[in-house]
Amino acid sequence: MRDEAAGEKAFEQYVLPEIEVLLRVANSLTRNHAEAEDLVQDTLLRAYRGIDGFDGRHPRAWLLTILRNTHINRNRRRRPELLRDPDFENDRQASLASDERTDAMVDDEIDSEILSALQALDEPFRRVVELVDVDGLSYAEAAEVLDVPVGTVMSRLHRARSRIRDRLDRAGFAPRRTS
Amino acid sequence: MKNWIMRLFGRTPPGGMSCHQVGEVLQQYLDDELDDAERRARIHEHLEECRRCGMEAETYERIKATIAAERPDLPNDSIDRLREFGERLARGDEPSEP
Repeated sequence: MRDEAAGEKAFEQYVLPEIEVLLRVANSLTRNHAEAEDLVQDTLLRAYRGIDGFDGRHPRAWLLTILRNTHINRNRRRRPELLRDPDFENDRQASLASDERTDAMVDDEIDSEILSALQALDEPFRRVVELVDVDGLSYAEAAEVLDVPVGTVMSRLHRARSRIRDRLDRAGFAPRRTS
Repeated sequence: MKNWIMRLFGRTPPGGMSCHQVGEVLQQYLDDELDDAERRARIHEHLEECRRCGMEAETYERIKATIAAERPDLPNDSIDRLREFGERLARGDEPSEP
């Protein structure tokens, strides 16, 4: 028989403190505040229903896995055609270029170059940089969100930052590699 | 000075690690993903003494800092609504299916 009081206490202890992190990651995944909030709400509900099976270890990783699966299911259910439509991805890239974050870019040339280089990265590379540098996730946590091995997070991160660095180099901002 | 020249003259590279070895773990070092304190100290020493690796690390730190500064503020009303929703669940008040 389910011990409801214990489950509710566990939910309060493990889940409530992670709401901000979940919303931050949901924002990165959806790039839409309203959708992110709905995604976190669904995630909280699923976590509540599954709290009895949670062993209390690594609550953030557990919640990020639920968030990722909920995100995938919501996309499958709500807009399967968009997931396969390359034009949608292009539109999304275009809207990203004009969103608040880009508008808020500082005038400094180096920062502009870095942020432009970030936007120019392919989605899997940009996403891992955002999860680690913007959302502040560890490699293991980012791996949970992306459902890839930690080694893949590390290699994507390395390649992504190398590309940004090389762009700075070409623009004359980074120290030149010498052999 | 190149690491192999240093070894040729019996000198060890800064921190006892070659530039290549440092380069392989530099991202993990900058992301605070290395658990081994002694290893971190050796990398730190190498970056302090090796100008080229030090500059490389500074470049990556700048990239990280610039991207981190782009962290958007979360909408307070969203956080408030989600906290309220979570607290209701924690009290056992589960919403009925839509």
